[in-house]
Amino acid sequence: MEQLKIEKTKTSPMVDFNAESGHLELSGRSIPEDSFSFYNPLLEWLREYAEQAKEKTHFKIYLEYFNTSASKYILEILKVVKKIADTTLTIEWCYDEGDDEMMETGEDYEDIIGLEFVYSEIEE
Amino acid sequence: MAKRQQKRNIYHREKDYLLRSQAYIESDDEKSSESLLEELKSITGNYEELLDQTVLITRISDRLQKKLDQTNDKLSVLNDQLNDKNIELQNTIDDLVKAKVGRKATTIVFIFALVLFVISEAFVEPYIESYANNIYLSLSIKAVIAMSIKPLEMLVEGNLLKTARRKRLEAISEHS
Repeated sequence: MEQLKIEKTKTSPMVDFNAESGHLELSGRSIPEDSFSFYNPLLEWLREYAEQAKEKTHFKIYLEYFNTSASKYILEILKVVKKIADTTLTIEWCYDEGDDEMMETGEDYEDIIGLEFVYSEIEE
Repeated sequence: MAKRQQKRNIYHREKDYLLRSQAYIESDDEKSSESLLEELKSITGNYEELLDQTVLITRISDRLQKKLDQTNDKLSVLNDQLNDKNIELQNTIDDLVKAKVGRKATTIVFIFALVLFVISEAFVEPYIESYANNIYLSLSIKAVIAMSIKPLEMLVEGNLLKTARRKRLEAISEHS
C-alpha cells in the first residue's frame, strides 16, 4: 500500500499516512475551499488501510484550526480509524500550549467516537 | 454553482441514505416485517450518525464563535491603542515639522535681514547723511527694518507650513 503524503498549504493540512510504519499524521490548518476533494482521498486510503492495518497504528492529529466541513470529515476519518481499534491504536490529539478550545474539541471527538485519546500540549 | 456543488458533496453520503429510504417507502413492493425492521435499523443508524455530527459541529461552532468574539475584543482594544498611538505620532510629526519649518524660516529671514542691513548701510545711510543729515530719520528707518523682521518671519513660517502640510497630504493620498 502506497504512502499518502500531502504537503501543507495555507488552507489545508499536512498529511502523512504511512502504511508501512503505521504512523498517520494530520497537522496544520484545515479550511479548504473544497473539503470533499481534499478529504475523500484520505478516507479512501484509510478504508483500505483499515483492512490491512499494522499491529500498531499511531494516529497523530495536530490541527491549529479547522472549519465546519473539515470537522465533519475529521469525524468520518476517526470513525474509519475506529475500525482498526482491534489492533493497538493510539490516537494522539495535539494542541498548542494554552489552546484549551482545541483540547476540548478533542474531548468532544473522544466522546462521540468512544475511543480514548492521548493529549499532547505542544509548547510554542 | 461550484461552491454549491462542493457543499452538496460534503453531505453526499447522507443524501444517498435519504434517497434510498425514500425509494424504499415509495416502492410498491410488499414489505415484510423483517425488511421493515432492517430499514428502521438502517435509518436509526444513519440518524445516530447525523446526530453525532450535529452535536459535534454545534459544539465546535459555539467554541469557534466564542474564540472569534474574544479575538474581536482583543482587536478592538488593540485598535483603540493603535489610534491613540497614531494621534500621538501625528502630534509629534506636527511638532517636528513646525520646528523644522521654524528653523528654515529663521534662516531665510536672517539672510533677508542681513541683505537689508547691507543695503541700509551701503546705500540708504550715505543717502540720508548727504541729503537729510538726520540721525533720527536714519534710526527710524533701521527701527522699521528691525520691527518688520518678526512679522516677516511669521509670514514665511506660515507659508512654509502650508507647503509642508500640502506635501504631506499629497504623500498620504499617493500611498492610499
